[in-house]
Amino acid sequence: MHEIGIANSIVEAVRTEMLPHAGARPVKVAVRVGAMSGVDRDSLSFCFEAITRGTLFETMILAVEDAPADELELSYLELEEP
Amino acid sequence: MSGTTTTVPLERKVLSENDRLAAELRTQFAHHGIYCLNLIGSPGAGKTALLERTLESFAPDKRVAVLTGDIQTDADARRLARYGFPVRQISTAGACHLDARMVVRALEGWDLATLDLLFIENVGNLVCPTSYDLGEAAKVVLLSVPEGEEKPLKYPGIFFKSKLMVLTKVDLLPYVPFRLDDAIANARSVQPGIEILQVSSATGAGIDDWLKWLAKR
Repeated sequence: MHEIGIANSIVEAVRTEMLPHAGARPVKVAVRVGAMSGVDRDSLSFCFEAITRGTLFETMILAVEDAPADELELSYLELEEP
Repeated sequence: MSGTTTTVPLERKVLSENDRLAAELRTQFAHHGIYCLNLIGSPGAGKTALLERTLESFAPDKRVAVLTGDIQTDADARRLARYGFPVRQISTAGACHLDARMVVRALEGWDLATLDLLFIENVGNLVCPTSYDLGEAAKVVLLSVPEGEEKPLKYPGIFFKSKLMVLTKVDLLPYVPFRLDDAIANARSVQPGIEILQVSSATGAGIDDWLKWLAKR
């Protein structure tokens, strides 16, 4: 159930990264999640959809990549510049 | 017309803000020579009972304190305050884990120079506390005998990250179908280096081993 907090941290990171990219549209954010990280992928995807609904991030895709051990890292952000 | 696509590498931890605060806590603890343990286990695993036994065994001049986290109530803080050492309750108001910011706030006003040992009793949960560094020297996971020997396989994250597994309520071993050898093998299959102690806070069995483990830190 802490996946809501994790999803929020991801959205906050995207928000910060987008500041220098005025007018850009966030297309995809990728995170690396290890099996020992304590984060459930399905739950994270569900929470991510729930908190981005009706926001600028609604159409942004959350890509969850495999990672070793307890890794829980932001990987990259894909933006569409105007 | 569609615009151009830019890929921005992020390459940092998802919980970088928590990790920054945890790193500050770790620096503070090191500066004051405080050994901090983050105790994690299911609700009812016996975290508070183990701390009661622990505090009870300490001399009154022991420089120890406890932060205890719960979703609601200060029941645990009241239980632990009876032993005369500084205790503070962190009420998370719904959150299923402690994070570093809560610990920073809870320590406000405490003179860390007066402490050598700090226990942080996390919210009862084997999943969510796994992801949040609190600046501790080590995580200790408690597994109570009635929970079953398969817990390390079902919740591998916390066993992977813990330095020590304390098997609690071992006085119940004759009464519940718990395969001790399997529990140990399961924990070691997830974390080969994990240390393991067996205790009963009810009878006091194994408490000396736990106190010796603490004394070595």
